[in-house]
Amino acid sequence: MTSAPAPQPAPATVRPSGRAVVGPATEPVPSGATWRVKLRRDRSLLLMVAPAILLVIAFNYLPMFGTVTAFQYYDFIAGFLASPWAGLDNFRALFADPNFWQAFENTLVLSMVQILLYFPVPIALALMLNSVLSSTVRGTIQAITYLPHFFSWVIVVSLFQEMLGGAGLLNHALRLHGWAAWDVMSNPDTFKYLVTAQAVWKEAGWGIIVFLAAIAAIDPSLYESAAVDGANRWRRMWHITLPGMRGVIVLLLVLRLGNALSIGFEQFLIQRYAVGTQAAEVLDTYAYWNGIVANNYGLGAAAGLFKGVVSLVLIFSANKLAHLFGEDGLYRGQR
Amino acid sequence: MGTDSVGLDRRSFLRATVLGVGAVAAGSPLLTACGGSSSAAAGKANSTAGLKAVLPKYTPLAIGPRPELPITAGAAGSSVDPGFLSYPTDLVKTVAKTPGSGGSYTAITPLWGGIPPAGNPYYQAVNTALGAELTMKPANGNDYAQTVPTLVAGNKLPDWLQVPTWWNGNLNVGELAASRFADLTAHLSGDNISAYPNLAAIPTGGWQAGAWNNKLYGFPSFTSGGQFGTILYHRQDVLSAKGIDPASIKDADSLLALGKELTSASSNVWAFDVLWLVVQQMFNVPPTGLAVTVRDGKVISAYDTPELEAALEFAYKLARSGYVHPDGLAKNNSQAKQRFYAGHVILTSDGPGAWNASDAIEGRTADPKFVRGAVKVFGHDGSAPTVALQNSAALMSYLNKNLSDAQIKECLALADYLAAPFGSAEYTLINYGVEGVHWTRGATGPTYTTQGTKEANQQTYQFLVSSQAVLTNPGYDDVTKAKYAWTADAVQHAYKPPFWNLNVNPPARFASISTATQVNDIVEQVSFGKKTVADVKAAAANWKTAGGSQLIDWFQKNVVDVYGTGQQ
Repeated sequence: MTSAPAPQPAPATVRPSGRAVVGPATEPVPSGATWRVKLRRDRSLLLMVAPAILLVIAFNYLPMFGTVTAFQYYDFIAGFLASPWAGLDNFRALFADPNFWQAFENTLVLSMVQILLYFPVPIALALMLNSVLSSTVRGTIQAITYLPHFFSWVIVVSLFQEMLGGAGLLNHALRLHGWAAWDVMSNPDTFKYLVTAQAVWKEAGWGIIVFLAAIAAIDPSLYESAAVDGANRWRRMWHITLPGMRGVIVLLLVLRLGNALSIGFEQFLIQRYAVGTQAAEVLDTYAYWNGIVANNYGLGAAAGLFKGVVSLVLIFSANKLAHLFGEDGLYRGQR
Repeated sequence: MGTDSVGLDRRSFLRATVLGVGAVAAGSPLLTACGGSSSAAAGKANSTAGLKAVLPKYTPLAIGPRPELPITAGAAGSSVDPGFLSYPTDLVKTVAKTPGSGGSYTAITPLWGGIPPAGNPYYQAVNTALGAELTMKPANGNDYAQTVPTLVAGNKLPDWLQVPTWWNGNLNVGELAASRFADLTAHLSGDNISAYPNLAAIPTGGWQAGAWNNKLYGFPSFTSGGQFGTILYHRQDVLSAKGIDPASIKDADSLLALGKELTSASSNVWAFDVLWLVVQQMFNVPPTGLAVTVRDGKVISAYDTPELEAALEFAYKLARSGYVHPDGLAKNNSQAKQRFYAGHVILTSDGPGAWNASDAIEGRTADPKFVRGAVKVFGHDGSAPTVALQNSAALMSYLNKNLSDAQIKECLALADYLAAPFGSAEYTLINYGVEGVHWTRGATGPTYTTQGTKEANQQTYQFLVSSQAVLTNPGYDDVTKAKYAWTADAVQHAYKPPFWNLNVNPPARFASISTATQVNDIVEQVSFGKKTVADVKAAAANWKTAGGSQLIDWFQKNVVDVYGTGQQ
């Protein structure tokens, strides 16, 4: 990191969206200052990020060496050093496996459905919550919608099973009244909507937080002057609130697209048999099942590496897209 | 899931015949009865002199209580384990002096149940009696197959490690034995074992299941003469209230008819849970744990047998019949016992370990009328049934290779203590803890105190090594008698499936082919009605081209042609 060029002086600017973007509050250091000077200047900031960097090194960078197993017939008894090399055999086996492509397709489809149906929900909720004036009511709603975020997927799926499962509350009531049972939990055709519904119930409340923060950052004087100019509630939302949130929305969308292949693991592992693998196998469960459970670590690592490469391409493309929309996205190169 | 006496879940039983590495020859029958058991089967061409030479000499103990329900021989050298209806009041000491010499060791075992607090008074009491610091570190049994590779890869193997034999293939235990586990042959083979009388009283089949490459490595737990994968259980109280005789279930059709009669979805009652393991027995499906089986001396794919196809057809039909509980079909196994206890399911499939006193207690808490019964084994078409024997011991523990000779000797002495027979002073301490603290003497035998239930009523030391399996449920003699009667019937129909008690070691390149996870995965989905028989056929064809054919050849040339099938 010390090899990065000295930061440009970044004065506080007001972007067209009206959101203030504030540069580093510290004194600009003349370019050419030694890294020692910069270190002294930034030491408290560096200390603050150190734990996060350590975590990333320990859990994200160091494990990358394990990628070598994708090119080995890895044997956990022999270890990395003694396992025989496989060349690209694991990838050949992977690409020849119809189950892998099924998992890939499922992952993409589920991801698209979630972006379409899940992503707008927290935004809409944040907008609605923002229009609630009573802070007690707002706080209560927020607390209730946050709560499911802290439940594990096992609990969430069990709850859905108890409510909507074949022997659950809903179907029991239907049968009692002589109606046919409604197969919600084990229908492979509607599985994508089921998991999206579960995701909305579990995570939408949590997702509100960042949008509410974005709304709070909007200068209230903009609303006041708009109101004076006779803009009604809808116009204010359309012309002030939404544009004010745009940066955050685009940022999160970029992250979401970049993570399109990581749509969860436990949720699908738990419901794998309820609907069958043709609907529920995703890349992560495929790698687990065929790598760890089947004792074919090389193949599992190959699946994971493939996923990583595709994700990298996705995140670059999504970031590019964000730039086209005039937003910063995740990062921007030197201007 | 099956947290009781042997602590296996249903999935485990599915894999219970997966063997591991280190081709050993079998052939010598499990010595069952205390007295001179039949040795007619010995000396067949298929037993290698190598293994026969190293197996320990079986010497039953002269002391200890006599079982009220004696060992009864069945077909194929099988037998019913001894049944005890009363707990002896005079606790015999079988180990004269303190076995340990102050060494300290750590042991990791799987546990399907609540992990007892570390260093609790029960552990302390056992360690004091052992004269050594044997630190038990039970690990969650449900992800134990993922725990062991981590320990191995990180070079963090404990001094004493338990590896359930159904994961022999996944965990490549043959290779582990050769590279990481201590070879106990010099200490235990032949007459050498006589230094450890309690270990010498473990039937030979148990040692055989822990032998790799003609060397002895493993200590067996709960060595049994008649271990079966699954039992078709029924709610005896419900059936008798409806006037249904369980003996009327004698083929596939009568099972389906009963399903129709018992299912009443509107009152939340389904006749069955998922019965796939039972269906395999009904249709005489050869165990698929190794992905291959043997027909007329030829190795074939286990997925190519007409028996499997017929069984899958029936399982699919059953899953789609509407008589199976929807949560079972969603593989919600953790609630399976609750469904059965609550009467939402009337017939279920579970391991033999599920049938014991704590089951009766739990069941009666949910429903005071609860009685677990078992349907006698039957064939799908009403013909004479067959039921495959499991390996003589499902649980096997190993010592770390890094231990010195003196340490290994100390551990053997500790093992001898842990293997003390039913009703002895040592057995009582290990299974019940300290009298007055962990248990009190009731009219029927030891009864756990609250502290005892928390600390001593879990399988910890027992999973390192234990004496021969016994049937006993103090205070619940009806359970013991019913289970004994069911097993006495089943052993009459027992047979040794191919590769029985034979520790086979396919090379590492077959690691995923021999576990055949992808095909077994589809097979399981058929039993839930989510995939069809055609899907299994496609997956099986795929398996063959992905290396299955080579595995079949390998088995033919390296196992069957050399050692035979282990069935003799």
